[in-house]
Amino acid sequence: MGMIRVLGDIFRVLKHIVRQTFSRPFTYFYPFEDREYPERTRGRHIHIRENCTACGQCVRACPVVAIRIDKSDRKYEKDAALYFDYTRCIFCGLCVEACRFNALFHTPVVDLSEPSREALHYDPERIETLEREPLEWRGRRFR
Amino acid sequence: MSPDIRDEAVEMWFGPQHVSAHGWAAKLTVVGDFIVECDPHAGYFHRSAEKVLEFRTFKQGPLVLERMCMLEAFLAEYPYISAVEQIAGVEVPERAKVLRTIMMEASRIHSLQFWWGQFSAELGLFAMTLWPWVDREFFLDTFEELTGSRHAVSFSTPGGVRYDFNEKVLKKLDRALQRLEQHLPKFKDMLLRSPTFRMRTKGIALFSYEDALRWGLSGPNIKACGVPMDLRKDWPDLNLAYDLVDWEVPVVDNPDHPGQSDAYDRMVQRFLEVETSINIIRQLLPQIPEGPIVDPKARAKTNRLPAGEAYGRVEGTRGVTTVWLKTTEKAQTPYRAKIRGPCFASYYSLKHLVPGSTFADFIVVFGSLDPYPGWWDR
Repeated sequence: MGMIRVLGDIFRVLKHIVRQTFSRPFTYFYPFEDREYPERTRGRHIHIRENCTACGQCVRACPVVAIRIDKSDRKYEKDAALYFDYTRCIFCGLCVEACRFNALFHTPVVDLSEPSREALHYDPERIETLEREPLEWRGRRFR
Repeated sequence: MSPDIRDEAVEMWFGPQHVSAHGWAAKLTVVGDFIVECDPHAGYFHRSAEKVLEFRTFKQGPLVLERMCMLEAFLAEYPYISAVEQIAGVEVPERAKVLRTIMMEASRIHSLQFWWGQFSAELGLFAMTLWPWVDREFFLDTFEELTGSRHAVSFSTPGGVRYDFNEKVLKKLDRALQRLEQHLPKFKDMLLRSPTFRMRTKGIALFSYEDALRWGLSGPNIKACGVPMDLRKDWPDLNLAYDLVDWEVPVVDNPDHPGQSDAYDRMVQRFLEVETSINIIRQLLPQIPEGPIVDPKARAKTNRLPAGEAYGRVEGTRGVTTVWLKTTEKAQTPYRAKIRGPCFASYYSLKHLVPGSTFADFIVVFGSLDPYPGWWDR
């Protein structure tokens, strides 16, 4: 009986070893791969100027004064020069909710690391372009 | 304290740099291995939330509240919304009521799972720290799928809720609940029958319900003494859906010391709380009615409120959480908001509970009351 019990224990240990060797790791090899973000993820914004009417509802809705519209700036179409300050933004989504012209949305881009604080002040050109695809930008995907 | 003891006494600080004291500090007077005096200090987390609320509109206010306690964000933002809805005199759609209640109970479970881990880590039981936190991830995934954020959810809004349930959310919530239901008996067994845990918690921080009432404790701390004090039953909220559910207030009555509770009883109480929350969610999930999630007219009514005052309250994970709101005529922001966090009372009850215990038991006394620094420093 003792022999069978020992064999059973060895079998259990081997089962664990085999399972752990061939199982997928639970961690991600960040930054080369990343998890899938849900559709509603409140990441950095994207501004669609064709729809924007510069009504300023997003500016009024923002609780931390992170959005600014410069109406005197005539360079941009329809005077909608939208500046985003990501050192202040808390990603509450009130501005996206306040926009009734479908001109402001969240994207699933959540890693906004920059070398300096000034780089987090997004200017009107930067806020309307996504310089990378939300999930594919890192080049290497392992899964 | 007699004068001759005072000669031997040593004053020492527990925190704010101590690993178990992240953002709070208590001055302890120690004689040998025994604590003779405890002086809890608040103020390390102070963010002037009440003043900040005076400069935020009624839609922006809940964002401040949910940052008071990230662990129970769905519950923390509710008292403010309740107060706003009372002043405006609006009722939310049926679907929003049920969704609010489900997510508030899920938030309670999530917060309690975090506390099991935290408390076990403070006792040195690290297996019980990491295992519940794996299950907690599934609840966080649900929150993220629903609202797009894991902690700062901003789910409720005056007049309804902001995000609707879809197939994915329901699937994730069901998975999280299933996993917890499967693991709960194991966790209970692991912790409550562990000799180490029993030795560290039995008879520690014993107090009666009279003491608890005098110190202003509420929630699981007073329910563990055998008092079924629960705002969900005692003060039924019109904009929540607890009346659709058949449930009882969970109460622990330990025959060893009736009317009193120690750290062990409070642990048992929190397991019961989770079971009750699972029961409530399971009963509400098939009852979600069809319809809108937000009433636009009710929401528009809360842009400017009439003069008045209201007292919004909710049974939080740690006890009664309330916001008193006063507004002036046609106000866009509150004239005054007073937050009552549940943990100020439990933190300052250390003053009475700690003297007489050994230094090693101090963190057990503290952890068993489940205080969260964000709630006592508003």
